Amino acid sequence: METDQLIAIEVFCSSYEVEYAFVESLQEHDLIETVLVNEQRFLQIPQLNRIERIIRLHHDLDINLEGIDAIQGLLDRVDYMDREIAALRNRLRFYEPGL
Amino acid sequence: MAFVDYYQILGLDKNADDKAIKNAYRKLARKYHPDLNPNDKEAQKKFQELNEANEVLSDPEKRKKYDKYGKDWQHSEEFERARQSRRQAGAQEGQWYSGNDGGGFSDFFESMFGSASGFGGGGRPARFRGQDYQAEIHLGLRDAYETHKQTLTVNGKNIRITVPAGVENGQTIKIAGHGGPGSNGGPNGDLYITFSVAADEKLRRSGNDLHLKADLDLYTAVLGGELVVETLSGKVKLPVKPETQNGSIVRLKGKGFPVYKQEGQFGDLYVTFDVKVPTNLTERQKELFTELSKS
Repeated sequence: METDQLIAIEVFCSSYEVEYAFVESLQEHDLIETVLVNEQRFLQIPQLNRIERIIRLHHDLDINLEGIDAIQGLLDRVDYMDREIAALRNRLRFYEPGL
Repeated sequence: MAFVDYYQILGLDKNADDKAIKNAYRKLARKYHPDLNPNDKEAQKKFQELNEANEVLSDPEKRKKYDKYGKDWQHSEEFERARQSRRQAGAQEGQWYSGNDGGGFSDFFESMFGSASGFGGGGRPARFRGQDYQAEIHLGLRDAYETHKQTLTVNGKNIRITVPAGVENGQTIKIAGHGGPGSNGGPNGDLYITFSVAADEKLRRSGNDLHLKADLDLYTAVLGGELVVETLSGKVKLPVKPETQNGSIVRLKGKGFPVYKQEGQFGDLYVTFDVKVPTNLTERQKELFTELSKS
């Protein structure tokens, strides 16, 4: 893991104004992964979009972490299906170029 | 500038209490939140309207002002005075939540209350990451064949990007940090670019493979010979076996489309022979065909 792809959890919490305990609870619910380097816990920067979404869902919509877990699963499926549809459209276009 | 009926947006009557407003907002926000409706512009627009309605109706002072002057805001002297005093009070407002595709409030809101001031009336501090931008680039199949630079304008800024060879129709790439500016020193949002690759008249793409229909005259099909086909990397001389059937397919390895971000790797080109039967035969030619048919 490249360290320039990591952000210390304390820094993240300070920037996003969330409690450290909140990030810990996200990890306990397997919603995010953290990385331990030299006894300090970090978040992976590529995960930030996902974490931001979790924070928004939790704070804006008052959804608990179990609910967010279910939503994340469904959104991942939507994303997978979107990509599947795009791939199928491209295959269909092979037979019907006007599409 | 049109009047905006915030009660109607939240599906409430004018006597709704704070709890009813909160419940209505929460219910509708869950339905239209951009995170739950990715790539749905209608939902995002609806969500902005909900935020605006909630921003006004959940704040007793704003609601009072809206109830009093809302419909007649254009003609009210009192409203104008309120507006002036708001202006004099200075820009106390905080930063506005950007979310996926934040956007601002309506002209009506801006005119009545100034710029937006917080998210959802919940008093939660502003977010720091800028909004994500979406853009679309249209390419021809031949443009997508080679890695090239392209400049696009996003929100008035020119951005020069490298379009890697082999991009798929509908593929989206992320350019980190080229979205809207973050607030309070936070990071910028990202720019998402979706490629729309037009179909080609002659070449059809299937993943990394290309398919081409090549006309073949009857004599070459029967006796064998050579056929020159035009590929994306230039002309190729193709040997034709004797007695080649109409519709038979030949694979040209590595003459297809470049594999995305796999330099030097290409798909294959499949050439389908379309044997053309000669027309406008002379009498002599007809005689020869007749002779042939009897042999």
